[in-house]
Amino acid sequence: MPGNIIELYSPEELARLERRVKRHRTALSVLAAAALAVCIALAAHVTTASAPKLELAAIAVSTLAGWVCIYDGIFIVGAGKKELRHAEMLRTEPRVRVEGRAAVTGERFTIRKSVGVRRVAIATEGGIEQALVQENHARLLEDPRVIAVYTAHSYVAAVEVGA
Amino acid sequence: MRVLKNIASQLHSFVLWLLLSAIFWGWIFSRATDTTFDKKLMVFCDVPHIEDTALAIALEEELPEGIRMIQVHPFSYVMFDTVSIEHADILIVPASDAGEIGARLLPLEGEGGAPVYDPVTGQGALLGYITYTDEPYYLYLGASSAHLEDGAAAQVARRMLAM
Repeated sequence: MPGNIIELYSPEELARLERRVKRHRTALSVLAAAALAVCIALAAHVTTASAPKLELAAIAVSTLAGWVCIYDGIFIVGAGKKELRHAEMLRTEPRVRVEGRAAVTGERFTIRKSVGVRRVAIATEGGIEQALVQENHARLLEDPRVIAVYTAHSYVAAVEVGA
Repeated sequence: MRVLKNIASQLHSFVLWLLLSAIFWGWIFSRATDTTFDKKLMVFCDVPHIEDTALAIALEEELPEGIRMIQVHPFSYVMFDTVSIEHADILIVPASDAGEIGARLLPLEGEGGAPVYDPVTGQGALLGYITYTDEPYYLYLGASSAHLEDGAAAQVARRMLAM
């Protein structure tokens, strides 16, 4: 009797991810525009007396806003977009059911221009089969009730949990 | 920990942004605190140390008609902007250097420069703003000043001698 199948890349999950990327992108645009507006206002009100302080303030505002944009742009928006691409690719691939006890092995590594992953060893009746699982889904495989995984393009795309 | 790791992996981007930000806003503020030669007075001082911003602020308390700002620069500033000194309105130079740039100097009144500092008595003008060396200093008008005819350069020069 088949168990419950948990989709790692369900439409709901993709929609949530898409919303998150969009939200952060909007926030970054607002932050960048606000920082620019503040700096322009500072430059517009400069006098000989206030110039050193206002210049320092403008540099501080643009630097801090830029650092937040760089961090968020690379590690949240950029990473989210990579995750979305990865998910889209897996959703269209044919799946293979591999029955057995799955265990995450080894350290995290990053597929070039894609997501962070970890290796998975699945102990089947015929021996050990290898797969990859996206880093932030690895914890799901620690559940002892997992009886099978569904792989697409060697990535774990869903897990089957027994009763 | 993860955040620190992420920051370390992009440290070059953060440093580069800081530099670009400082250069860009430095340039913007230098433009914002500048105007055309006919609307500003430029004072150049060949002295070891000068509180240029403080002196400019003090001089701007009584601007001659038609003048929007007064800029005070040490001679070392010429390294960055050779055009400005050619249009200098007021110059303070030590006796030993006056001969070298004599062609650029005009007396404020009569012959020779107006005495600014006497090393024998230690008395002089602008002592709160300028550190002099152990030689006499004189004030001159710039021969190419745009403010000889309107009297603005002479007006500010006289105030400087009285400060």
